[in-house]
Amino acid sequence: MSSRKKVIVPLNRVEGDLKIHLEYDGDTIYDAFSAGTMYRGFENIMKDRGPLDGLVITPRICGICSNSHLAAAAKALDMITQCMVPDNATRVRNITLIAEQLQNDVRQHSLLFMVDSTSPAYVSSSFYDEALARYTPLKGRSVVEAIENTKKILEILSILGGQWPHSSFMVPGGVVSVPGANDIVQCKYILRQFRMWYEKQVLGCSCDLWRQVRSRQDLEAWLEASPAHYQSDLGFFLRFGREAGLSRIGKGTENFISYGFLDMPRNTRVQSLGSTGYYMPAGFVSKGSVRQVNQHEIMEDTSHSWFSGHGEELHPYDGMTIPYATGSEGHRYSWGKAPRYDGQPAETGPLAQMLAAQNPLFMDLLNQDGPSAFSRQLARIVRPTLTIPVMDQWLEEIAQTDEPFFTPYGEIRNGQGHGMVEAPRGSLGHWVIIEDGRIKRYQVISPTTWNASPRDSNGQLGPWERALAGTKIRDLKIPVEVDHIVRSFDPCLVCTVHCADLRWEV
Amino acid sequence: MSLNLFWLQCGGCGGDTWSLFNASSPNVVDFLEAQDINLLWHPSLSVQSPEEHQDIIQRLSEGKERLDILCVEGSVIRGPGGTGMYDDFLGTPKKDLVYALAAQARYIVAVGTCASFGGIGADGEIEATGLQYHKYDIGGFLGEDFVSAIGMPVINIPGCPCHCDVIIGTLSAICRGTPPELGDYNMPLEWYGVMVHQGCTRNEYHEYRVEEKRMGEKGCLFFYLGCHGPLVHGVCNKLLWNGRSSKTRVGVPCFGCTRPDFPQLYPFFETRNIEGIPLELPEGMDRAHYMAYKGMAAAAAPARLKKRKTRI
Repeated sequence: MSSRKKVIVPLNRVEGDLKIHLEYDGDTIYDAFSAGTMYRGFENIMKDRGPLDGLVITPRICGICSNSHLAAAAKALDMITQCMVPDNATRVRNITLIAEQLQNDVRQHSLLFMVDSTSPAYVSSSFYDEALARYTPLKGRSVVEAIENTKKILEILSILGGQWPHSSFMVPGGVVSVPGANDIVQCKYILRQFRMWYEKQVLGCSCDLWRQVRSRQDLEAWLEASPAHYQSDLGFFLRFGREAGLSRIGKGTENFISYGFLDMPRNTRVQSLGSTGYYMPAGFVSKGSVRQVNQHEIMEDTSHSWFSGHGEELHPYDGMTIPYATGSEGHRYSWGKAPRYDGQPAETGPLAQMLAAQNPLFMDLLNQDGPSAFSRQLARIVRPTLTIPVMDQWLEEIAQTDEPFFTPYGEIRNGQGHGMVEAPRGSLGHWVIIEDGRIKRYQVISPTTWNASPRDSNGQLGPWERALAGTKIRDLKIPVEVDHIVRSFDPCLVCTVHCADLRWEV
Repeated sequence: MSLNLFWLQCGGCGGDTWSLFNASSPNVVDFLEAQDINLLWHPSLSVQSPEEHQDIIQRLSEGKERLDILCVEGSVIRGPGGTGMYDDFLGTPKKDLVYALAAQARYIVAVGTCASFGGIGADGEIEATGLQYHKYDIGGFLGEDFVSAIGMPVINIPGCPCHCDVIIGTLSAICRGTPPELGDYNMPLEWYGVMVHQGCTRNEYHEYRVEEKRMGEKGCLFFYLGCHGPLVHGVCNKLLWNGRSSKTRVGVPCFGCTRPDFPQLYPFFETRNIEGIPLELPEGMDRAHYMAYKGMAAAAAPARLKKRKTRI
C-alpha cells in the first residue's frame, strides 16, 4: 500500500480547463474521479421564459456544437406543436448538422487530439519529428490546413442558417431560411472543395475506397497499400497509434448509446444505414447486442453531484437542478449529473454511432481488442466518409424540388416534448415542458454529461472514470496516456450542462 | 518586440474563440504571426504543461513578466453568495485570477457579451457579471474607476459571439499602439457605431413596412418577429458571418446579442407592440413621427415589393 498515491492531472486543449483526480498504485491508475467544477445554470435560466426561447438561449451552451443544441431545441418544439417538418427542412437541418460535425471532427483531431503526439513523452519515438512537423500548435502543417479548411465548410451554415456559431434558423415546423438555387450551388462547391481536401490530406483515399475497409486486417493492408495512405493524417494516426499502444488503453464501460443521427426525409434517395428512421441508427449497445433506445429508460442520478436530492434517479421530464455546494467534504464531487440508460452508464460519440450501425470495421475492432482510445478516435476521423456523400445528395434533392421549408404552427400554450439528436460528441437531448405559454422545465443531457459522468448511487463509475481505471502509465512525470484516453472522448467541458463546465477536481 | 497576450476563459461557451477561427484575411495563424503576438496562454491552443501554465500565471500576477493584452472570454461568475465557487480554478474562485491578471495588464479586452456585460447568467443564480459593466450599469466586477496599466477602461467588444473581424481589428489596433476610439459602454465606435439593420438585404421591406407576420414569409422581421436590427449596434450585415450571410438575411430575427441586456427577459421571436407599432423604436426615433412615417410608407409600398419573387 505504501506505493499508493493521489495526484491531480490537469489538462488543457479541452473546452475549459480540465483536472482529473487519479489514484495510483505504483505505476497503475486504480481509481479515477471526474468532477465538474463550474456551474452555469442554463436549465434554471430557461424557467419562465417564452416558449421559443430555447432556440436562442440553448445554442449558447456550447461554442463548438451550437447548431446541435439548436436542432435538439427545435425537435422538442416540433413534438410540442405536433408539426410535420417538410422534407426540405429536414434536409437543411441535416446538411447543417453534418457541416458542424465535419468542422468538429477535423478540428478535434488536428488541433486537440494529435497535439499529444508532440508530447515530450515521445521524444525518442520514431514518429516524433513527423509529429512536430504536423501537429505543433499554430505551426504544424496539418494544424494550419485544418484551420483553413474547417472554416470554409462552416460557410454552408452561414448560407443556410445565417451564421456559425449561434444561429436560430431552425424553428418548430422546419427552418426559416429559403435557400435559392444559387445558394445550393454555392454549398455544393464548398462541399466539393472540402471533400477534395479531406480525401487528399486527412484520409489519403476516396471516401468510397475507405468504406471497403471492413476489418482490422483490411485496415493494416490499407495502410501499406499506397504512399498516399501512409502519408495522410489518417496514415500517421495509424502509425502513431500502433507505436503509442492506443488500442490497449481506454476501454471504458463497454456500453454505448446513440439516439440516431440525422432524421431521414420521407422521400429521399439516401439509403439509411439502419432501420430506425435515421441515417445512422439509434441503439443501446451492450455486450455485443443492439437494443432500441427508449427515452423512458434515461434517468439522471445526482448522488455524487452537487445538486440537492437524495440520490434518487429522475427522468429528465421530472429532473431538477438545484445546486447544493457541499465543497469537498462528503461524497459529492461534481457539477455534472450521472445519466444512466436502464440503470447503466454508457459512452456516446462516433464509436457508439458506428456500433449502433453495426459497421463491420468497428465491430471487428471491438471483437478483437474491445473498445479503446484507438477505435474511438478512428471512428471520429473517418466518420466524414459516411456523411459527406449524403450531404451532397441532400443538397441535390433540395435543388431539384420546389417544396416548402416550413409548416406554420399554432400558438404554443401547453405541452411537453423532447428533442434527441446526435451532436458531434454524441447523444444530446433536450426535455421541455411548457405551461401557460411559458417554459416550466428545461432539462439538457449533453454528450459529455454521459461520458464524463461521476459515480451513481450504485457506485458505478462513469465512462471516463472506467476508461482510466486500470491504466498502466509509462512515465509518471508525463502521463500522456491520460491525455489520450480522455481526449479520445472529445471532451467538451463547456457543454456539460446542468450546466456544469467540467473542470476537474475532487 | 513581441506582445504578450493571455486569453482567459471564464463563464462562457468558447464561442468567441471559435468565432475567431472563422477569420479569413488574416486567419488566426497569420494574424498572430503578423502582429508578432506571443500567445502566453489560450485554453484551446496551448501545449504548455499544467506546471508551466501555473508558472506563467504566477509570473504575470507578480509583475515578473509583462502582460500586454489580457483577453477575457465569458462572464465573471460570483455565485453562490459572492464566493465565486461556481467556477473555481485550483480550488480558488476564478474571479480572483481575473482580478490578479487585470491588475497587471496594459490593455484588457472583454471579448463577447458575457465578458462585457454579464450576458447569459447575469440575472441568474450564478451571479454572472461583466468585467466593467453589469448589463447597462457601469461597475461590474472591476468597478467604475478601474483603468488598466495603460490608463484605459476595459475595451468591450460584445456580441454572442463577437465577430472575428472585430476581435482581430481591436487587437490589431492595440498592437499598433493606437487603441480604438471608444463610444457608449466603452465599445469601439468603428464597429459599434453601425446598426445591425445597416446592410440587411430586407431593408426595403422595412422602408415600406412590408411585414413578416409569420416565419418563413418574405418581409421585415422588425414589426412582429422580434428583430432587433434597427435597435442595436453591430456589424453582422456590414461584415457578414463566415464571409457569407447574416441571420436577418436568411430570415432569422436579430436577437440583439451585442446589447447590454442580452439575453432579454421577455420572449424572443415576438415584437412587443402598441397597436401594431413596436414598443421599442429605432434609436433616437420619436413615436409620433415614426407612426406617421410608417403609415405613409406602408400606403406607398410598391406592388413590386409586396409581390417580390426572390427568395428573400
